[in-house]
Amino acid sequence: MTVPALAQRRAAEAAPPASRRPWRDDLVGWTFAAPFVILFGIFLAFPILASFVLSFTSFGLKDLANPVGSTVVGLKNYVDLFSDPVFWTALFNTFYFVIVGVPLTLVFGLLIATALNRGVSRFRTVFRVGYYLPVITSIVAIAVVWRFLLDPDVGLINMALGGLGINGPAWLADPVLAMPSIIAMAVWRNLGFAMIVFLAGLQAIPAMLYEAAAIDGAGRWQGFRYVTLPMLRPTILFMTVITTIGYLQLFEEPFVMTGGGPLNKTLSITMYMYQQGFTFFHQGFASSIAYVLFVIVAFVAFLQFKFLRSDE
Amino acid sequence: MLQPLSTSRRSSRARSRPFRFAAILAGVGLLVAACGTNAGSTAPGGSASQAAGSQAPAVSPAASVGGTLTVWAMGNEGVKLKDLAATFMKDNPGTTVNVTPVDWGQAVAKLTTAIAGHQVPDVSQMGTDMMGQFAATAALETVPATFQASTFFQAAWNTNIVNGTVYGVPWYVETRLLYYRTDIATKAGISTPPATWDDLMTMATAMKSKGGATWGIGLGAKNWQEYLPFLWSNGGDVMDAQGKFQLNSPQAVEALTFYESFFKAGLTPKSVPANFDITPAFVAGTHPMFFSGPWHIGLLKTAGGAGFDAKWALAPMPKKVTATSFIGGGNLVVYKDSKNKDLAWKFVQYLTDPKTQVAWYADVTDLPAVQAAWDDPTLKNDKNVALFGQQLKDTKAQPAISTWSELATALNGTLEKMTSGTLDPKAAADEMQKEAETIGVGK
Repeated sequence: MTVPALAQRRAAEAAPPASRRPWRDDLVGWTFAAPFVILFGIFLAFPILASFVLSFTSFGLKDLANPVGSTVVGLKNYVDLFSDPVFWTALFNTFYFVIVGVPLTLVFGLLIATALNRGVSRFRTVFRVGYYLPVITSIVAIAVVWRFLLDPDVGLINMALGGLGINGPAWLADPVLAMPSIIAMAVWRNLGFAMIVFLAGLQAIPAMLYEAAAIDGAGRWQGFRYVTLPMLRPTILFMTVITTIGYLQLFEEPFVMTGGGPLNKTLSITMYMYQQGFTFFHQGFASSIAYVLFVIVAFVAFLQFKFLRSDE
Repeated sequence: MLQPLSTSRRSSRARSRPFRFAAILAGVGLLVAACGTNAGSTAPGGSASQAAGSQAPAVSPAASVGGTLTVWAMGNEGVKLKDLAATFMKDNPGTTVNVTPVDWGQAVAKLTTAIAGHQVPDVSQMGTDMMGQFAATAALETVPATFQASTFFQAAWNTNIVNGTVYGVPWYVETRLLYYRTDIATKAGISTPPATWDDLMTMATAMKSKGGATWGIGLGAKNWQEYLPFLWSNGGDVMDAQGKFQLNSPQAVEALTFYESFFKAGLTPKSVPANFDITPAFVAGTHPMFFSGPWHIGLLKTAGGAGFDAKWALAPMPKKVTATSFIGGGNLVVYKDSKNKDLAWKFVQYLTDPKTQVAWYADVTDLPAVQAAWDDPTLKNDKNVALFGQQLKDTKAQPAISTWSELATALNGTLEKMTSGTLDPKAAADEMQKEAETIGVGK
């Protein structure tokens, strides 16, 4: 968004007084902005609007070839959704994933960033690359590999446990352990991104602040508590919001690893939406799920901004 | 209540952040579709009205029809169909058949996208369990009367009938038999395959206690395809003749009780990881019995290596009231938007000719859906394949209703609750019935 918008603004700023053909400058601006505006319109604005309209219809299989014929059902999809026990299960699972997963990701990301910033200087690049690699690796590939790792009979984790004399559980097939297993994988995968962002944040903190704190008698922990954390507050806010929004859209991990099972214990909201929309072809109903998820994401992001900014 | 809408989205599959991108693709697809097609080419209102609407073209094999066909086929069929298409083109000068292979994982998405965009192939393969859904899109042509139901296995033909109209022709079939380890059975003191339900239970128990296997049998903890044969064999069914669900009939409760007893007795694992592969487990001998289709013959040959062939055998479905197994496979459908329907049906006729069916079996080992093809020695003389042929005479399929994928998911969910011990069989049957009534049969 920034580049064309900026170009447009610059063009506008550079424009001479109105008498000298402003339409031409406008045209230049719009030409620069056009690729974005057109793509945004076709690929984002239109579908977003269309799915909003859809959420008030019973659009499904029979309307595929003739969408204009679908029936308007008002708020029925939303009423059905809130009385659907599977929806509440999926909502619970998603929040379980977010509430446990987001703090773990941020804490581990911050710990590793701090360690890399201060302690380990020799192989910093190696570690940075190592932690970041999972972020850029295809999530499906990762999920498949983790499925092997977590295999109850031939998986590396249970073989290691077996070597210690522990009979490892069926991680992904156990209703209690399935979600924690997925959280562990997601945290491992995403802490690299948190680390990179925190590292950038840490390096932006002037060294003199620590020196001043040290002169005042602050130890390492106090330096962290009273210098690092307050200085990182904007970074933490950013990471919390970004990670929460990402985690609320949990999909690939359970889709590849568990298919939502066992007993729907890893069925996320997005998976439920996918199932309704593209397996059962209740696309009107699925659109209503999308909008409920949208409202939830917006509300959570709003809360986080409010809460984390309150001290400023 | 019938107010028209101007916009809409339809399906498309995208892997990551699926919904948004799918919605986007869909939106564009519709725009294109709206611009590119003549309005009013399809009438809304579902499948009921179209039986009368489309007149069946009279296809006689002798008629020479030229032109171009586009055919979509999935998986291995999509790769190999070119061979048959080449023969067809040779036999029918002036015709061109373009075969497009479609990945099974993308099949539903690709077909629904094509239907929404009015960019359908002339002919496509379709899973027997997809018929209800796709008939509901009103995009399929009615099968002309030149195709005789009696030519095919009855249960295979029936998968094509939705609300009384025939929308497809069976192409190939598969059914499920019992694979069991003969060496472990011998060790357990059993020399004959299980003929009845009681035999099956006795055998599973003995294989675990005396045969040295970890489990007695490997049953699906959440797989309707493995449960339904027990329901059918006990005289029950998903729906009665009037189309009313009867998933909590006494027969169903009894079948569920029997199915559950293997889990309760620890004869089969209660929790099975997603994507669990039974093949290596069967070769290793931890799971000495399982129900599966003909594809496992080849898989076992590869996984078992030399000498393993002597260690296993096939047995028909064990009998209760009947010995009914599940039938699946692929059908062939012709689309209403096809520009060359006569040639399309001619191609379908060619593919379902007994001779072609035998050639097709030789090429890709798909079992013929046409009964006459089974008289050929290549099928008759293979002991294992012949057993599948026998079983095919007593098979049933899921009802061809548009809501089947949803109902199947619900059945799997309830089965999982039962096999994991959360629900007893009676409660599971009641839950299945309730779910089915809520989901309904679609329109």
